[in-house]
Amino acid sequence: MENIAQRSINLKSSKKIIGKVLIYIILIMLTVIVFIPFLWMLSTALKSEADVFSWPPDWIPKPVQWNNFVDAWRTMPFTKFLQNTLFVVLLGMVAELISETIVAYGFARFDFPGKNLIFVILLSTMMLPFHVTLIPTFVIWNKLGLIGEFDPLVLRAWTAWGPFYIFLLRQFFMGIPIELDEAAEIDGSSPLQTFLYVLLPQIKPALLAIGVFTFKGYWNDFLGPLIYLGNKEKYTMNIGMYFFLGGINEAPKWNYLMAMSTLIALPVVVLFFIAQKYFIEGIAFTGIKD
Amino acid sequence: MERFVGTFIRWLITPVVLVLIAIGIYHLLKRLGWKHRQAMGLSLISPWIIGFLSFIAFPLVNSLFLSFTDYNLFNKPEWVGLRNYQWLFTKDIEFWPSIRLTLSYAALTLPIGVLGSLILAMLLNRKINGVGFFRTVFYLPAILPEVAVALLWRLFFNSESGLLNYILRPIFNLFNMGKPNWFGDPKFVLPAFVIMSVWGIFGTNTVVFLAALQGVPRSLYEVAELDGANFLKKFLHITVPQISPIILLQIIMGMIGALQVFTVAMFVRPTSAAGKFLNQLVYERGFTQLHMGEASAIAWVLFIIILLLTLLVFKTTPAWVYYEAEAKR
Repeated sequence: MENIAQRSINLKSSKKIIGKVLIYIILIMLTVIVFIPFLWMLSTALKSEADVFSWPPDWIPKPVQWNNFVDAWRTMPFTKFLQNTLFVVLLGMVAELISETIVAYGFARFDFPGKNLIFVILLSTMMLPFHVTLIPTFVIWNKLGLIGEFDPLVLRAWTAWGPFYIFLLRQFFMGIPIELDEAAEIDGSSPLQTFLYVLLPQIKPALLAIGVFTFKGYWNDFLGPLIYLGNKEKYTMNIGMYFFLGGINEAPKWNYLMAMSTLIALPVVVLFFIAQKYFIEGIAFTGIKD
Repeated sequence: MERFVGTFIRWLITPVVLVLIAIGIYHLLKRLGWKHRQAMGLSLISPWIIGFLSFIAFPLVNSLFLSFTDYNLFNKPEWVGLRNYQWLFTKDIEFWPSIRLTLSYAALTLPIGVLGSLILAMLLNRKINGVGFFRTVFYLPAILPEVAVALLWRLFFNSESGLLNYILRPIFNLFNMGKPNWFGDPKFVLPAFVIMSVWGIFGTNTVVFLAALQGVPRSLYEVAELDGANFLKKFLHITVPQISPIILLQIIMGMIGALQVFTVAMFVRPTSAAGKFLNQLVYERGFTQLHMGEASAIAWVLFIIILLLTLLVFKTTPAWVYYEAEAKR
């Protein structure tokens, strides 16, 4: 009796172990699949031009061309493009963080007629395809005489144009007990003081997550700079890359392009690893994606 | 640094103007008899309302209007009725292939994306070591700049000597075919884009699903196990209903995303013969050919497709989406 029971337990646990091993094998295989293109990017970035299309493909560049990074950077005014990108990223990020926090605070802590309807409209704008409003928006900036300037990329950030982030911040505000506000008011703090010293510290994780999201958003943006920045003086990194790629009939310099791609990806990857915890919690919290 | 000054000053002035407007709104509402906190609330959200009215509501209506006009940015829009749409549906040789490519891409990638990331999230939801590590790895493709990813794919899919064709060589030999010209051949563009999207699905979706799965009460599974439910039964009768609102969200956002391929296509650059996505057509007609009317018409066709599909999905929700609050009533 005992023996049979023991055996069935053994069977069960060995079945479990096999299941676990299988899961690990699948996960490791997927990890490899995720990494193959990355490694290929790095490997190509370090190859000489002649080696890029060697057949059969070679994983290890010989010799390793470290100066590809420097040479690629010098083919276009990338230092200028980097300054432009950082300018746009910084202005957009700061404006969004401030305006979205204020708007979310309004939605979370105040009641007024029409609030729920407005909030539903706000959420539904997430489903609006970007290209539908693209042309009239371009016309507006054109009428204002700001085509070719950075303005169309950053001024709108002041109007809290990220519905996801407003939603996320509102959730965070609503998670703070209202008694905290009331206690502060009894102690004689003004609404502004309550907001700054009581509520803001509580939503720090959300602000960090949104900081990373918006950094990534402005850094990765391509369409905006493509239609609004006509002058080479004001190109961002991504637009620089687009022209670096060359015309349809030109043969791209793949080792340089991969070196630049690596450099463009680097800041986002580093930032992601630093702020990962908040970043992933942020998405998990709201179910957002960009 | 001179090139930054103008924008920076206007960037500083904008919030000042917005605050002044908000204060004006507050006083106006007070005068209309609103209570202090009500007026305060609306003033706080007024920046968003201003942005919405001027950069979403107005452009939306305006682009519908423009789609019935001939407009090149310099002349006044000239009313032409349905001519843009007529031209698109009957004359523009790139329109129907583009509709077909865009819709087939969405139809193929959406189920793969939603199901694939759900399965991956379920694997990660097992009690295994290193969940954090795998979650991070699978999230990586989602944060990279699309520009870098697209360039990488273009190299990877290179028809003559790209790594993908090298890896897939045994399969091509099996079917006795040559190396496919992924972005130059209409037969292969769609599969190429689907392969790219599959690589990207290990991303945000998985993280969202994982969080949703972790919210399903364990007790439900334990009760089901006592009743002798197998894996499939537990999946269909507990997991799916419990996370169905999240599945709905993923389907809708995934669909909208899949219909809006742009940046990757611009960098990968399939040849004209191979096909273009709708958003590429909007860009080309509008910003390289300056046919703003026709571009608006394409954008509206895309918008209406998205609206109809979203409505369709919502129509099916009573059958499968389970809201706890309603069930408790």
